[in-house]
Amino acid sequence: MGARLFGASVQRLEDARLVTGRGRYVDDIHPAGVVHAAFVRSSLAHGLIQSIDTSVARTMPGVLAVYVMSDFAAFASGPLPQLAPHPLIQGPITYEPLASGEVRHVGEAIAMVLATSRAEAEDAAERINLDIEPLPVAADLAHALDPDAPKARSERADNRLATLKTAFGDVAGTFARADHVLKETFTVHRGGCHSMETRGVIATFDADDRRLEMWTSSQSPYLVRRNLASYFGLDESAVRVRAPDVGGGFGPKAAVYPEEAAVALAAMMTGKPVKWIEDRSEHFLATTQQRDQIWELEVAASNDGRLLGVRGRCLHDNGAYAPYGAILPATALGSFPGPYALEALDISIDIVLTNLVPTTPVRGASRPSVAFVLERLADRVARHLGLPREEIRRRSFIRVEQMPYVTGTKARDGSPISYDSGDYTAALNLVLDKIDADGFAARRAEAASRGKLLGLGLASCVEDTGLGPFEGATVRVSSRGRVIVTTGAASQGQGHQTTLAQIAADALGVSLENVSVEAADSGKFPLGISTIASRVAVTAGSSVELAAQQVRRKALKTASHLLEAAEDDLEIENGVVFVKGASDVKVTLATLAQSLAGTAGMRLPGGIEPDLAATAYFESTALTFAHGSNACEVEVDPETGDVRITRYVVAHDCGRLINPLIVDGQIRGGVIHGIGNALYERMIHDDQGQPLTATYADYLLPMASEMPNIEIYHLESPSPRNPLGVKGAGEGGTIPAAACVISAIEDAIGPGGTFLRHHPISFEEVAGLIDTRTI
Amino acid sequence: MTMRSSLRYLHRGEIRDVSHFGPMTTLLDHLRLERGLKGTKEGCNEGDCGACTVVLGRLVDGHVSYRPVNACIQLLGQIDGEELITIEDLAASDGTLHPVQSAMVDLHGSQCGYCTPGIVMSLFALYQADGPVGRSEVTDQLAGNLCRCTGYRPIVDAALSACAARTENKPGDHVASKSAETAVKLASLRDGADLFVGSQTSFFAAPASIESLATLYHQHPDAILVAGATDVGLWITKQLRQLPKIIHLGRVVGLAEVHETADGLTIGAAATFSDVEAHMTAIDPDLGEVWRRIGSKQVRASGTVGGNIANGSPIGDSPPALIALDATLTLQKGDDTRKMPLEAYFIAYGKQDRKPGEFVRSIHVPRLKPHQVFRAYKISKRFDQDISAVMSAFRLTLEGDFIREARIAFGGMAATPKRAHGAEKALVGASLADEASWAAALAAIRADFTPLSDMRASATYRSDTAAALLEKALIEIAGTSTHATRVTGHRPVSEAAE
Repeated sequence: MGARLFGASVQRLEDARLVTGRGRYVDDIHPAGVVHAAFVRSSLAHGLIQSIDTSVARTMPGVLAVYVMSDFAAFASGPLPQLAPHPLIQGPITYEPLASGEVRHVGEAIAMVLATSRAEAEDAAERINLDIEPLPVAADLAHALDPDAPKARSERADNRLATLKTAFGDVAGTFARADHVLKETFTVHRGGCHSMETRGVIATFDADDRRLEMWTSSQSPYLVRRNLASYFGLDESAVRVRAPDVGGGFGPKAAVYPEEAAVALAAMMTGKPVKWIEDRSEHFLATTQQRDQIWELEVAASNDGRLLGVRGRCLHDNGAYAPYGAILPATALGSFPGPYALEALDISIDIVLTNLVPTTPVRGASRPSVAFVLERLADRVARHLGLPREEIRRRSFIRVEQMPYVTGTKARDGSPISYDSGDYTAALNLVLDKIDADGFAARRAEAASRGKLLGLGLASCVEDTGLGPFEGATVRVSSRGRVIVTTGAASQGQGHQTTLAQIAADALGVSLENVSVEAADSGKFPLGISTIASRVAVTAGSSVELAAQQVRRKALKTASHLLEAAEDDLEIENGVVFVKGASDVKVTLATLAQSLAGTAGMRLPGGIEPDLAATAYFESTALTFAHGSNACEVEVDPETGDVRITRYVVAHDCGRLINPLIVDGQIRGGVIHGIGNALYERMIHDDQGQPLTATYADYLLPMASEMPNIEIYHLESPSPRNPLGVKGAGEGGTIPAAACVISAIEDAIGPGGTFLRHHPISFEEVAGLIDTRTI
Repeated sequence: MTMRSSLRYLHRGEIRDVSHFGPMTTLLDHLRLERGLKGTKEGCNEGDCGACTVVLGRLVDGHVSYRPVNACIQLLGQIDGEELITIEDLAASDGTLHPVQSAMVDLHGSQCGYCTPGIVMSLFALYQADGPVGRSEVTDQLAGNLCRCTGYRPIVDAALSACAARTENKPGDHVASKSAETAVKLASLRDGADLFVGSQTSFFAAPASIESLATLYHQHPDAILVAGATDVGLWITKQLRQLPKIIHLGRVVGLAEVHETADGLTIGAAATFSDVEAHMTAIDPDLGEVWRRIGSKQVRASGTVGGNIANGSPIGDSPPALIALDATLTLQKGDDTRKMPLEAYFIAYGKQDRKPGEFVRSIHVPRLKPHQVFRAYKISKRFDQDISAVMSAFRLTLEGDFIREARIAFGGMAATPKRAHGAEKALVGASLADEASWAAALAAIRADFTPLSDMRASATYRSDTAAALLEKALIEIAGTSTHATRVTGHRPVSEAAE
C-alpha cells in the first residue's frame, strides 16, 4: 500500500474549531473558584529594591493577597534552576519568581496581587509603591565590555557572561594566502516575538496530595514541569503541565518564566486556582526578545570569487538574565559555515549582559543573523571583485556530490556536524530562473522611467533542523477503532494535529478523520522536550511512524490469529483488516482493539501482549539540514526612501513534504517575519534601558497591504537520517529573508552606493543613502 | 423625555436587556466574562491587533448595515440598539461553516488560530457589504488585523474567494437571510428614550437628543464624553483611569448627521470616520486617501471626526487636512454655541479651546471652489494603521498659472496641527509655470516649523520631507507629474499571478 496522505495538501483538522471561535487557549479556561493575578514590575532598568509598600493595595476591593518573594519562603527561595546548563556559564543567572533584591531590567516582576477579577488585581497593583534605588544602567551593547562600563549585575566582575568559540582549518594560513581579505562590521537588531496570544498560565495545587497542575501557553510544557518540580522539590509525577491551544510561540514561549513559578506559588499559598494572562504591554516588557548582535568579521576570498574563510567576533546581547543558558549564541556558532565550503573558520562570541529583557531564540534563533552576515559578506566580495552575486555563491557553495559534507564545526553534543543532503546550486538557479533574473535589467529601466529604483536581492541559507534527542509518540487504536496519537510535542499553529495524523493514517489504513492527536499534556504522555528548532516533524513525526508501524504489525498479527490467515495475506483499508482477494474475510481494527483490551477470565488471542498500541521514541542522533535560496525585488521611492517589495521568490528544500499546504504556510509566515525584521520591527530603548516602542502603535508588525505574494518552489532531497526522509520547515522562511531584502535595497541604491551593514533599515535611512541629484 | 435604565441589544435574533453594568465595562469583557462567549480574543487591548473584532449591525435607510469594531475598546453601553454578531454566530446551527470560514479553511488562512476569530469577523463584514471586492478592498479591510503566522496572503485569497462566490442572496449566510427580520427588530429598539444606567455618581448615559445631552453635561461637567471610544477606551484599558461618569454621544438624534450644502459639508460631532469617507472622497480623492489610512476599518467605524478633534490628539491625520480646507468648528455649551476656525481650537500640546461642559457640535468643511486644488500626503513607516511621521495638506487657489492664495497645514511638525504661514505667504503670486518662483516658499517652509526628532523621524528628515512634499504638490498641480509618483496615492497592491 502506497502512502495516500503523506505528501498531500490535506486541509487541517484543527481549522473547523479555530475558524468558529472554538479554539481553547489558556485564557479560555476557567477553573471553578479561579482568582486572578497581576504583577507589579520595575520601572527602572537597574536598581536595588529598598521597600515595597503594599498596605493600600491590600485594602483594595476584591484583593485576596499581595505577595513579595519573601512571602513564598515556605515553598521556595532563590533563583529558578537553569533550563539548559552550560559549563561556561557560572553562577546563578536565572530569575527569582519575584525579584527580591536587585532588579535588572524594566518590567521585571517584583510583587504580585491576587484578586477576584483581573481588573481588580490590576487596579490594586497600581497602588503598590516601590522604592528602588537606581543603579548605573548597562544598555549599550557596543560598550558593555569596556573596563568602565556600568555592570548589568552587581554581583559579577564584568558584563561578559561567557565566550563561545568555533574554529576549523588553517585559519592564519588561509587568510595569509588569500588574494583578498575584506573586513566589515554588521549589526542586527533584537526585535520582539509578538505571538498574537500573549503568555498565560493557570495553576492549581492540591495541598493534601501535594499535586501541582498547570495550563501554560508554552512551547515546552515538559521543561516547565522539570524546572518547577525541581525548584519546588516535587517529584515530576506530582506535577502535571498542559499546553492547550497556543496562539503562536516563535521561540520565547519555549523558555520557563518567573511568572509561571510565581503563579504556581500563589496557588500553593492560597489553595485556589490562580490565573495570570499577560497584558500586551507586559509582553513588550517581560517576554524574551530576539537578539542585538554586533559582528566584526573578515572574509578571505580568491581572485576567482571563492569564499575561503571567515573569522571574527560577535558581541551578543543576552539581556540581564540567561534563563535559557547559552542556546541563542550557540545557535550562531552552529550556523556556520552556512552553504559555503569554507577552508577555515574562526568565530568567537562574547555573551554580554545588559539591563534589557533577556534574549532567547525567536524564529530561527541566531540563524537569521548568521545568514545575514554570511550573505552580506558574499555580496561584499562580489562587489569587490566586480562579479555577479550569484557567481560568488555558485563558486563557493558546497556541491551536491560532496554530500554528506563534514563542515568542520561541532554540534551541541560535541559530535562533528555533517550536512546530509541537498543541492544548493540547484536551489539558487531555480530561484533566479523563477524571478526572471535575466529580465531584471529591463524591469529596472521601466521602473526608472517612473522615477523609482528597482533592486534585486538574493540570499541563501542552510538550516540545521530536527534537533535531538527525541519527541516520543504513542499510537493507540481505541475500542471504537479510532486511532489516538499521543505525543509530548506542543503545537503553536504548525498543524501537528493534521501532519501527525497523516503519518498515522497511512500506516494504519484509516481515514484522516479517524485519527485524533493529543499533545503537550504531561498527564497523558510521559516525556517531551520542546517545539523548537524546526524539530517536530523529524522527531515526533518519525516516532509516530515507528509506533504506528508497530501497531500495524500487531494488528496484522492479531488478525492473522483471529482470521486464521497468514499475516502476509492481510491488508488494512478503511479501518478493516481483510484477506487479500477475499475481502469478506475481515475484522475491524475496533474488534482487534477490543480483543487486545482483554475480557475477564479469557485468554488474549495468540498470546499477544495487551493493548493495540505502541510507543516509540525516535532518537534524532544527527541533525538534518534544510536549505534554500530566496530572491526578491524591491521598488524604492527616492524622495522618501519608501521601500516596497514587489516580488519574493523562495526555493526551499526540507526533504520530503508531509503536507505542502502546511509547509508553504510555514515558509510564507517565516518570510514575512524576516521582512518585519528587515523593514519594520524596531524595539528601541533609551540609554537608561527604558523601552520606547512598547505598543503596536510604535512597534510596527508587518500588515496585509504591504506583504508581497511569496512564491514558493520546493526541491526535495530526502534526509537519510530519519524514517520519513523529512527535514524541518518552521524557520527556513525567516532565516534568509532579512538578508535578501537588504541585498535588494542595496542593489536598488546602485553599485556606487553605501554597502549596507545592518537591519532593520528605516525609510529615512534609505532616503539618506540616495543621492537624488543623480537620479 | 422618556428615560430607559437598561441597555438593549440584539443578539442571535433575541433582544437582550442589561440593566446592571459598570460604565467602563468593555464589550470584550461583557462577552468573555459575563456572557461566557470566549471565541472573541484579547490580543492587545488597545485596538491595534483586531483579535477582538466583532461586527455590529444597525439600521441605515431601512437596511441593516454591518461594521467591524474592536470589542476591547468598545464600551458595552455603546452598542445600545444595535445587533451584535460574534465569531460563534457565523456557522449554521448544523455546523455548516459560513462561506468566509470555509474559504479560510480551504486556503490555510489560519495557523495558531488566535487572530482568526477577529479576521473572520472583519472578512464577514466585507462579505456583507455590496460591491466588487478586489485585493485592495481586502487589504483595506484587514488594516486593523495583525497575524504573525500566515503572512496574510492566504487570508486575502480566502476573502477574494469567498466574496467572488457571493451572489445577491448570499447563500450559506444565515445572517443575510434573516436581514429583513433583523431590520424589524432593530427598528423596534428605536425608542428615542434617553439611556441612563447607574447612579448620579457612576453612570453610563446615552442621551437621545441635543437638549438632553446639553442638560446632562451641564449637570455633570466632570463626565467624560465618549463618541467612538477609540481613544477613551485606552484610558480605561491601558492607563487604568477611573471614569465613573460616561456620556455617550452615539444616540443623540442629529448629532451624527452629515449635511451637504452648496458650499460644503457639515459633519455632526458623532459622525464616524466611516460615515463621512465617501463625502471626503467626493471633495477630493487625496482627502479620501487620507481617510482610508486613518486607523483601520474598526477604528474608522467607531472613531468620530468630532472626537478626534475634541480630544486634540496631536497625531490625528484629519485636522491638517481639514485645516487646509479652511474648516470651522462649532462648539456648544448649554444652549450657547460658538464657531471658530479649526486651527484656532488647537492651542498647545494637549490643550484645546474647550471649556468645561462644552462639547463639539459639528465641523463645517468647505468644498473646493472651481479654481482651488488640493493635495495631501501622509508619510509613515508602514502604509496601514501607522502614526504619521509627517502629514501634509495643501489647498491652492489659482488664477491661471498664478497662485492667489495658499493654505498649507502639517501634522507631525509641531505640538499641534499647524499651518505653514511663511510658505503660504511666499507662494502668493508665484507661478506654477515657473519653478524658480517656488524657491521662497520652499525655503520658508523650513522656517515655519521646528520639528522634534523622535522614533518616527528625525527633525532633519521632517524638515526635508516637508519641503519635498510642498515641491511635490507644486509639481503635481503644475501638471508635470502624474499620480504614479504620489507618495500618498493609491499604492497598488500586487495582483501578481500565483
